[in-house]
Amino acid sequence: MNCQLCQEKFEEYHEGRLPSGTKTQVDAHLGICRKCAESYRLFTLAERVISSEKSVMSNPFLTTRIMTGIEKSDVPVHETETSFRRILKPVLVTIALAAAIIYGIMAGNIYQPERSRNTIPVELALINDAAIESVGILTNE
Amino acid sequence: MDDVSVIHIILAGDTEKFRILVEQYQQMVFRTCMGFLHNKDDADDLAQEVFIQAYQSLSRFKGESAFSTWLYRIAVNACLNKTRKSSGKVFLQRLDEIMNSASVGIKAIPYAENEDPEKILIRQEHVEWVQKALDSLPENQRTAIILSKYDELSQKEIADILNTTEGAVEALLQRAKKSLREKLSYKNKKNKIRRRKKISFVSNHKIN
Repeated sequence: MNCQLCQEKFEEYHEGRLPSGTKTQVDAHLGICRKCAESYRLFTLAERVISSEKSVMSNPFLTTRIMTGIEKSDVPVHETETSFRRILKPVLVTIALAAAIIYGIMAGNIYQPERSRNTIPVELALINDAAIESVGILTNE
Repeated sequence: MDDVSVIHIILAGDTEKFRILVEQYQQMVFRTCMGFLHNKDDADDLAQEVFIQAYQSLSRFKGESAFSTWLYRIAVNACLNKTRKSSGKVFLQRLDEIMNSASVGIKAIPYAENEDPEKILIRQEHVEWVQKALDSLPENQRTAIILSKYDELSQKEIADILNTTEGAVEALLQRAKKSLREKLSYKNKKNKIRRRKKISFVSNHKIN
């Protein structure tokens, strides 16, 4: 038996699931190969750690904690939020926002400010600017 | 009463019936969380989150797979998210473990009261090796090996949870086991070199 084959059999060897012939071969290999023997020692170490973690029991009050958490949770289970609703909601919000912006622009364009009623009287419009004498000239005289 | 009937009752409004599912699957979810987090308190908290999450999305359970498979998927996703988030906080976690000796995870292997403290330390070091080696595996390999070793699930059950084939799970498990062996051997070698250096330093110091 070579090292690779021996190491592949560790799990079955450890759990006693190997046929007696193969078990004898693994035994013999572990007896002569220090590398595989060390590797098997580390394998059993890992198995021990895993089984000790596996044997840890959950908090006896976990069920109560969970049920309290559920009572406090905002989303009741029977309120089915369908995927349709989940997709539709943001789409509707986006459409409403875009519509509001477009309406704002259009309303801005339609709006015409009321023209000033203080138009220049006709008499003033007829005044010939060239004929008006400078105030300076008048004071000098 | 089977799981599907219980779920129908819960969906009809009798939320208290969720307790039946919690009591039935609590230890299973907790074990999975323990495999990923290696700490009892953290595993308890995450198991609680998993059940609340399952409750909130219970209406989306279509019954295409077993409830346990569906619950395992939620648990595995929650564990992976948690480990991804906490990977950046490893240093703080280690510091916390050192400061808070009451932490359960690190003393995973029980020891006798009159046992040699050095032996206890070495044992705790070994526990850390195994935990670190497990944590350093790629996510899919880690998930497969945790479901196989901690929850003792068959390759078929793991394949259902991971939405893959039995062959793929077998390959994942083989790679994970090989990788674990290599990582542990490497740690062991490194540790032996470190010890040798320590011994030579001490003996040199004595001579001088």
